[in-house]
Amino acid sequence: MTIALPLAILWFGALFIALFDGTRKPVGYTAVGLLAAALAATVALGIDVHRHGPKEMGIAGWEAGVGIALRADMLGITFAVVSLVVLTTALWFEVSRDVKARIFPALVMFMGLGLTGLFFTGDAFNFYVFFEISMVAAYVLASYGESPRQLRAALIFIVVNLLGSVLFLVGIAAMYHNTGWLDMDRISVQTPMLEENPVILTATIIFVAFSIKLGLFPFHFWLPAVYTGTRPAVAAILSGALANIGSYGLLRFGADIFPRELREGAWVMLILGSISIVYGGVQAIARHSPNEVLAYSTIGQVGYILIALSIGGEAGYAAAILYAVINALNKTLLFLSASLRGWIAGAAFAVGAFSVAGVPPAGGFFGKMVIFQIGIDDGRPLIVALVFVGGALSFVYMFQLYRARFWINQEADEATTKGALALVVALALAIVLIGVFPEPLLSISREATSILPERAP
Amino acid sequence: MTLFISITIAVIFGSAAYLMLKRDLIRVITGMILLGNAANLFIMAAGLRRGRAPVVPSEFETSDSLVQAMTLTAIVISFGVATLVLSLVYRVYDAHHSVDLRRLGSVEAVQSGLDDQPTAHVIQAADDAQDARQDREIAARQGGRW
Repeated sequence: MTIALPLAILWFGALFIALFDGTRKPVGYTAVGLLAAALAATVALGIDVHRHGPKEMGIAGWEAGVGIALRADMLGITFAVVSLVVLTTALWFEVSRDVKARIFPALVMFMGLGLTGLFFTGDAFNFYVFFEISMVAAYVLASYGESPRQLRAALIFIVVNLLGSVLFLVGIAAMYHNTGWLDMDRISVQTPMLEENPVILTATIIFVAFSIKLGLFPFHFWLPAVYTGTRPAVAAILSGALANIGSYGLLRFGADIFPRELREGAWVMLILGSISIVYGGVQAIARHSPNEVLAYSTIGQVGYILIALSIGGEAGYAAAILYAVINALNKTLLFLSASLRGWIAGAAFAVGAFSVAGVPPAGGFFGKMVIFQIGIDDGRPLIVALVFVGGALSFVYMFQLYRARFWINQEADEATTKGALALVVALALAIVLIGVFPEPLLSISREATSILPERAP
Repeated sequence: MTLFISITIAVIFGSAAYLMLKRDLIRVITGMILLGNAANLFIMAAGLRRGRAPVVPSEFETSDSLVQAMTLTAIVISFGVATLVLSLVYRVYDAHHSVDLRRLGSVEAVQSGLDDQPTAHVIQAADDAQDARQDREIAARQGGRW
């Protein structure tokens, strides 16, 4: 199984789909099929990597160390699979209702290409290029629907995220200047040998760049405005697929390239994560429109990822991956089902709500439980208290939203089609399944941390 | 030379940050483009070495050419994004007949559908009052100076 296959399917597929009118159903379903094919190829690659260990491939036949390398390890594959699942579901959902712009399916595929590429690349500058491919697709997707409100949302999104991209570019240039390498493996070998000050500055710049993508507390200001404006499928793509760049970037650059700086900055991340959880939860309770509640809930949920990262060690990183995966699925399910009507959609929404609040049968329980367990094992009452408070807050706002959305307010935004309902039900079942059989996901996230060099806290 | 380049980057970055805080969208976009150029210059600076020619071919020792490849890629990307943003600004202007961020913001507040939000004319009145206050302040300051 070659690493280039998922990328090739997405790349040529996106170009091919862009030639046709995406508002027509056959074109839309072809795009869904191509995304699913890329997903299947990535899963097959994952099985291969699981059996034989990480793979590496030089682009265009250059030797390792000279050309750009593609690397597939469990960490990248886990995030690639989740992102492709989210993209496929969101595109299918939109196609089963009605696609409003002819370029929409091609854009979703381009975003899939950018995301898969950046999860598989082993070169820091190539990471930036793939990152920009997915961001440009996201810029256009944010304005999808093209109502005045969506245009405004897209504008905010572009201005803020472009700032993040430029910061990231500066960070890469600084890394190159300090180490003389762009290959991530070589950089991670070099960084511990360098002087501390330039490295900690670089690490901070990159942390800020990814925090902007992720919507962490002091950098969250753009998130509610954008999510409120966009359509449900796009909100699901932004929070379920695009936000993975932030979590993956923090893991890859934080835990892999700057482990020493991550350890030194652990207390900062703990504080920011705690503020994110409480702030997101309290703000979400105060809001009424579903997208706004879910946007603030996203801010709260990423706090857990940051706390898991700040704990560090194998258990902490594994918890961060597990939480990022479950959170992406939760948010996709919630954004999609909140736009539908009827008891089936309500039930699917309730599963997502339970999962966010961390109630047992749903998958979110395990994300919270792992962090809870670490808090108890390490004897850190603050983390235990935070998980509890965060869970209680999310329980309140989720059911406020459930009541407002499915009990009181019966007006539908748009037609609730059978295909859309089937998709949210499938997603809800997947989340319940993760909750009932958590072992595969737990072992995958543990395997993914094994490539991170420094696992001692 | 390093100091000179650092100062240049700092000035461009500072001007870009200042422009991005403006209310006029065109200025914000100009700021974004400048910001990208500051980053490009920063990449170039990462590969400069004293006493070496910057460009191949040359009979002397040359400095790192990889940074130029990176900068070229970054320029192309920022050019693409700039065109995209400008077309979006045009669409926003088409929809609102304004590129003033405060006006766009007041539309946002009205449409967010919260009961405790002030209505359009209240915001308009508040805007006008603020304008008048600013005018008075400017007049007072000028009066003091001259």
